[in-house]
Amino acid sequence: MKVGVVGCGGMGHVHAQSYAKMRDAELVGVCDLDAELAGELAKKAGTRAFTSFEEMLEAVDPEVISIALPSYLHKEAVLKAAAAGRHVICEKPVSLTLEDTDEIIAACELNGVRLFIGHVLRFFPEYEQLKRQVDSGVIGEPGVAHAKRVGGHPGEAKQWFKDETKSGGVIVDMMIHDIDFMRWAFGEVKSVFAMNKVDNEMDYALVTLQFQNGAAANLEAFWGYPGSFSYSAELAGSKGLIRLDSSTSASLHTRAKVRTREERQFAEIPQSPGTRSPFELELSHFLTCIREGEEPRVTVQDAREALRISLAALESIRTGKVIYL
Amino acid sequence: MNKLKVGLISFAHSHANSYYESLCKMPEVEIVGIADENRSRVEGIIAQSGLPYFADYKQLLATDADAVVICSENVHHAKLTIEAAKAKKHVLCEKPLGITADEMEAMIAACRDNGVQLMTAFPCRYLPAVADAKAAIDRGDIGDIVAIKGTNHGTNPGGWFTDRKLSGGGAVLDHTVHVMDLMNWMLGSAPQEVYAYTGTRFGDAEIDDAGLVHVKFPGGVFGVIDTSWSRPRSFPTWGDVTMEIVGTKGVISVDGFAQKNEVYSDIDKQASWSYWGDNMDELMIQDFVRALLEGRPVPITGEDGMKSAAVALAAYESSKLGQPVGL
Repeated sequence: MKVGVVGCGGMGHVHAQSYAKMRDAELVGVCDLDAELAGELAKKAGTRAFTSFEEMLEAVDPEVISIALPSYLHKEAVLKAAAAGRHVICEKPVSLTLEDTDEIIAACELNGVRLFIGHVLRFFPEYEQLKRQVDSGVIGEPGVAHAKRVGGHPGEAKQWFKDETKSGGVIVDMMIHDIDFMRWAFGEVKSVFAMNKVDNEMDYALVTLQFQNGAAANLEAFWGYPGSFSYSAELAGSKGLIRLDSSTSASLHTRAKVRTREERQFAEIPQSPGTRSPFELELSHFLTCIREGEEPRVTVQDAREALRISLAALESIRTGKVIYL
Repeated sequence: MNKLKVGLISFAHSHANSYYESLCKMPEVEIVGIADENRSRVEGIIAQSGLPYFADYKQLLATDADAVVICSENVHHAKLTIEAAKAKKHVLCEKPLGITADEMEAMIAACRDNGVQLMTAFPCRYLPAVADAKAAIDRGDIGDIVAIKGTNHGTNPGGWFTDRKLSGGGAVLDHTVHVMDLMNWMLGSAPQEVYAYTGTRFGDAEIDDAGLVHVKFPGGVFGVIDTSWSRPRSFPTWGDVTMEIVGTKGVISVDGFAQKNEVYSDIDKQASWSYWGDNMDELMIQDFVRALLEGRPVPITGEDGMKSAAVALAAYESSKLGQPVGL
């Protein structure tokens, strides 16, 4: 299956290099307005570089367009790909508003193309196992859950992250992973309450979801955290609880001496290696869904619901009220 | 040596055992007796120590005790504290201080009017990690506090704790107050708004055993506490006290009981975490006793106890309304 990647930033690299490794995918091109970025990635992934979407379509005719653009550009790119009759795989969040999301969904339906949104957490082995164990009753009836995702501020490298009209902020961009996961594990959300602090250095949010089944979850997300990127989750129920924590499951630590001008220091890199990355699993799953006509593990409606909950959190922050969905 | 004479009223709350042991270790303390209408709760201690036993707390209040430690069921805190104050005894009262704002105000007033001190038992302030975090915050190590996420997880204690007529509330009342007090203490402030989820999710108790309590302080600092009795029986310890304190210049993470060994024994058949850090109850009791002996104000007041219990009471109100409530 011929795939073209649009957007050659961090996520574009992940997409392109994942497709390049897959036996059942052919990465026919990567595209970015920035010729240098496109060229660099094309070289790394062993494919052709383009600076315009139309040019890429014309020259290499991809059947699937994989979109890894900043969130505010998702809509325009999906609409273009759909209009050209290409299947679409798009990074999360699907878009920044429900109106845009509905327009995207309608355009894909109208043009008879498939649409997949990259809520990759569902493909992380630890989250997948957690979901499976909750489903099989290991924790009994859902009770109180937590999720946490903290790291440096992406806006330090890419300014658009600091513009809420372009990224949606830490809730719409990052916490949305945990929102989607919690809904997957605990079911439909009934209400949302949120608190948030945003300035140039940080975007920190605490969001409480109440579920229709009476359970609840508190989610924490932090851009501007003065430490390594990490995530954790705890799901407690009537018969037990399950926790995962990226910092305690790091299975490989590399500690190297680093000589600086002034003093000897060290660098420590924690890793949790596996034979297949969650991104590869996800993208490959989406391609299989296209080929076999199957429903994906995470549907467009799931992505829309995760966005709806994220937007309700923003409304709660604006109004100070609990938002009922 | 100038000794402080202390009596203990009620062992309904098992913390009384730990406070008793802490008092026993202090040469400057003389325990004058133990009152509990339920003799079986204290039989062991009475037999072993030979201490005077009083079936009626009023008999203990009639002794020359300087201070009493009250560990009754929550609903009796007010009556016992007020009676003790009238008998001119200083009071260390188990948390939550009371179950209504009115009764807590009456407790504080009774102590003030009778010239005795009232301390709320918040031992978590004496966890060394907590005390050091407070010092770091005061030094400005992490700038201004932006937000705090805390947990005080536990296991359903059963007994009178799940009988509303004796406890006044479940996990939200039981487990909001510790971390809430730490937040108030670290911020030198108290919340002006509360939003809470409460539920019964972990057993068939007819009382809340699940809670998430959001608070907003003047100036916009915010926080959340998980108060749930959500640790299953198979969990390697009773629960936790944790705080993630986010500041403008850094983050402090406190895990109050992280100082533990992990124990795996075929004798127990269950993994367990064995805490080896300092005993917070002992440190709190020492501070209480020494403040009274030296004529200093007690380190944690009745007002402190009321401030954090008020948040738990507001949490129930918020949960009922389904919206945040003011304080």
